[in-house]
Amino acid sequence: MMDRKQCVVKLLVQPSRGLVDEKFIILVQKAPPGYQLTVHALHKCEDGYSWEAFGHYTADTRGTVNVSEHSSLGGTYSGVEQMGLLWSLRPVPGSKPGLRLRKMNVQTPMEVTISVYQGHQTEGFMDQVPLASVVVERWFMAPGVRRIPITEDGLTATLFLPPGPGPFPGLLDLWGGGGQLVEYRACLLASHGIASLALDYLTPKITMETGKMVELQYFEKAYKVLEQHPQVNGSRIGMLGLSLGTTITLKMAVYSQVMKLRCAVCISGCHMQPVDGSLEEILKYFNQNADRTRISEENELIWRDVALPVPSDLAFKVDMGRLKCPLLVVVGEDDQNWPASESAMDMEEMMEQAGNSHLLTVLSYPNAGHLIEPPYTPHARASLFRSIATREKSRFNLRLTKSGLQTCVLMAVSVFFAVIVLWGGETVAHSRAQEDAWRKLLVFLKENLYSGSNPGTTLLSHL
Amino acid sequence: MVRAHLSVTTIRQLIEMKMSTCSGVHRSLACLHRAVGGVRWKSSFRQAPLLTAAPVRSLIDEQISITGRFLPPDSPVTVRARMHSEEGDLWESFAHYNTTADGTVNLTQDHSVGGSYLGCEPMGLFWALQPAPGAREGLRLRKMNVETPIVMLMSLLEGHVSPSEGPSTELAVVTTERWYMAPGVKRIEIRQNGVVGTLFLPPGPGPFPAVLDLWGMGGGLVEYRSALFASRGYASLSLAYIGHKELPGPQNTMNVGDSYFKSAFQLLEDHPQVDGSRIGIMGLSFGVYLTLRIAINLGVKPSCLICVNGPVGSTLKLIDPEGRSSNFESEQKYWTYDDQGYVSFKAVSLPANIVPASIVKVERLTCPLMYIVGEDDLSSSAIENANLIEETLSAAGKSQLFTRLSYPGAGHLIEPPYTPNARISLWSVKPKKVMTLWGGHTAPHAAAQEDSWKKILDFMECHLRR
Repeated sequence: MMDRKQCVVKLLVQPSRGLVDEKFIILVQKAPPGYQLTVHALHKCEDGYSWEAFGHYTADTRGTVNVSEHSSLGGTYSGVEQMGLLWSLRPVPGSKPGLRLRKMNVQTPMEVTISVYQGHQTEGFMDQVPLASVVVERWFMAPGVRRIPITEDGLTATLFLPPGPGPFPGLLDLWGGGGQLVEYRACLLASHGIASLALDYLTPKITMETGKMVELQYFEKAYKVLEQHPQVNGSRIGMLGLSLGTTITLKMAVYSQVMKLRCAVCISGCHMQPVDGSLEEILKYFNQNADRTRISEENELIWRDVALPVPSDLAFKVDMGRLKCPLLVVVGEDDQNWPASESAMDMEEMMEQAGNSHLLTVLSYPNAGHLIEPPYTPHARASLFRSIATREKSRFNLRLTKSGLQTCVLMAVSVFFAVIVLWGGETVAHSRAQEDAWRKLLVFLKENLYSGSNPGTTLLSHL
Repeated sequence: MVRAHLSVTTIRQLIEMKMSTCSGVHRSLACLHRAVGGVRWKSSFRQAPLLTAAPVRSLIDEQISITGRFLPPDSPVTVRARMHSEEGDLWESFAHYNTTADGTVNLTQDHSVGGSYLGCEPMGLFWALQPAPGAREGLRLRKMNVETPIVMLMSLLEGHVSPSEGPSTELAVVTTERWYMAPGVKRIEIRQNGVVGTLFLPPGPGPFPAVLDLWGMGGGLVEYRSALFASRGYASLSLAYIGHKELPGPQNTMNVGDSYFKSAFQLLEDHPQVDGSRIGIMGLSFGVYLTLRIAINLGVKPSCLICVNGPVGSTLKLIDPEGRSSNFESEQKYWTYDDQGYVSFKAVSLPANIVPASIVKVERLTCPLMYIVGEDDLSSSAIENANLIEETLSAAGKSQLFTRLSYPGAGHLIEPPYTPNARISLWSVKPKKVMTLWGGHTAPHAAAQEDSWKKILDFMECHLRR
């Protein structure tokens, strides 16, 4: 038996079907003036966990709440936050710890139920009937975008083509140490007109079957797939890497004889690595300082020191002075996983000395963490993480102190199970960073890959 | 990032990989070439232009903005829209623009200088759609499956070109989806108490205000307006009453009467997610007569009525007091033909030609009524019927219940906005092919649809919500 409602409100979310990086407007109308209400978002992710966010509002004199104009008085976000209901999503109380929200099937949308509840509530939403409720779809894939699995030449990749005959500019999209074939960012970039290839380079079929890590030619083969594709403009190919993907991107941008990148984007990563090293050797290089892992008070692993300090030996960092294309570097200053800030500073110094710093744009965000991802997706300050191992035996240079032993155990554990890794970032600042970085990243890519200006032009003014 | 020693088998155990079946790139390419008709891109530009539409997925009654960028400055371009109807016909529209000094074109602010429409028309490409050259005659664009979107391919073409001139250089493309159903709207087939219809419920707990949705003599079960009402927060029941195989009797006669329509109204009233005290009725064409008859004769209490281009009484011979009627083709004396042989039914619904016993006693009306007139309606005598209703209500001291919207240049088929008008369309094929005249000229009809839809929603807001 339904309780008689206190009032009937009208709830509108526009657009009801949006791309993940599109803003929406949430309008509540026909409430009594001064009425207290909670606007709530609920999402059930692919793994079956429920996520929620909510804001407390008071209807104005016309009985309206406009989330893009009115201030939330509390909840999972506060203040005027048009997209707060998405970026402040968090697992519902009682959920397993260390969850991270990621959409692996990009061919279906994220469905979010937006509801209005009476009063300023903080819990028990599922036990109540809301005053009104609508469903909103959030898509990584625009209509007409084509998803094409790529298996030739031993690659494990997915190509996303924008609709139409093209040709389109192209992009190689690399993620980090978690491996797998993660498609959503490449899919979203294709929705913006860039033919994007998501590449699995840590756990591709060939590595899973042979146990061998791929060589650097693997990346060049991926580049050639793009270059030779009749619907891709081979002279307009960029590369984007996050975390370990940055390490590869910089190596390729500077040293590859095959890749002629028109531009590159590096997020939350570093240029430190054995410059003549294979992928396996790059991983070993970081492995060797495993004992520098720290553990936070909440038992989360902090890996940023493993790659520090920035070496002065040019055998162990990419010679940025030889870079010939525009580079956008994105850094979260609270990155607890990679020393992205230190690396960015060193890169800038190298490029200033070499005279090519006009190619470099650094976006540095205070209180943002490691996982700088497309906007309006929830921030994970820490999450369960399974690292990918090398085939070779590595030795830990452990000083057998108490913490060293603890680290060793935790590292062993981290391979067999997942441990919680600290990414860093404070939610509000991190969410703003994601929004700002994505907008600038799109401008950077479009200006470099679409417009007729010569490669190498400074584009700082546009950002 | 740290690594530790591990064997391959353990890697496999830790990571589950789903390997989808893949086709090689070359095979996919061959399919793509066929799909896009093998248009070879040959550009005179060094840059690559970009066409965007926002939002790319929208409801039918929403405006979208279409912009082209990275084009040469002050240059002629054509924007073209193409879609395939459910019957497989190609529809298209196009407009000629000149890019600005910074190489952009923006349909929400720029002016078309030629093509399917002229001037600043952000949604022109949608309402000016026409069957492509070489199409079959007498087509009308209607979406019968509302659970899928209309997919429109928008292209930027070099120069001021038109589709009939043959293939042209495509500079950029964007695909958009146009939906009648918002996410979360539920579509429920209704076959109960003899009622044949489809109910659309908005998302949320309800209860919702509702609308009974009636179309014209074309018959069948037309769902798209109801789907759109539900996307706007109203429970809506599309009701079949003629020309549907699940209704009793021959399909060319109306074999259901007052009790049928009463059952339909009560079905809405009794539905647990409908606010039974807030039900409206909307009718187009013959549906106007039914709307008035239900509101006034049947003892039910709708909260408001919306009538579009229809008669105040039956244009069919009644065969019983319940309102069952003979078939439309049996009375052709008021049909007129133009010099192309197209038939107009307009005179059939002149008040003087309507079955007198069937004229609904509008003076007994107790709720607000909005009557929408297309002044170029060639299928019904909308103006005369509107006048009759207005006079009757005025004489009864009830003129405050009556609102009229009247649109010059608009035809009979005033439907949800940003959809093309059919000035004529195929009416029947047996015993011979007959095209009927609906009327309406493209641009004013589109303006009427856009304006009337807003006003219909405002009217419903006012009378169906607290």
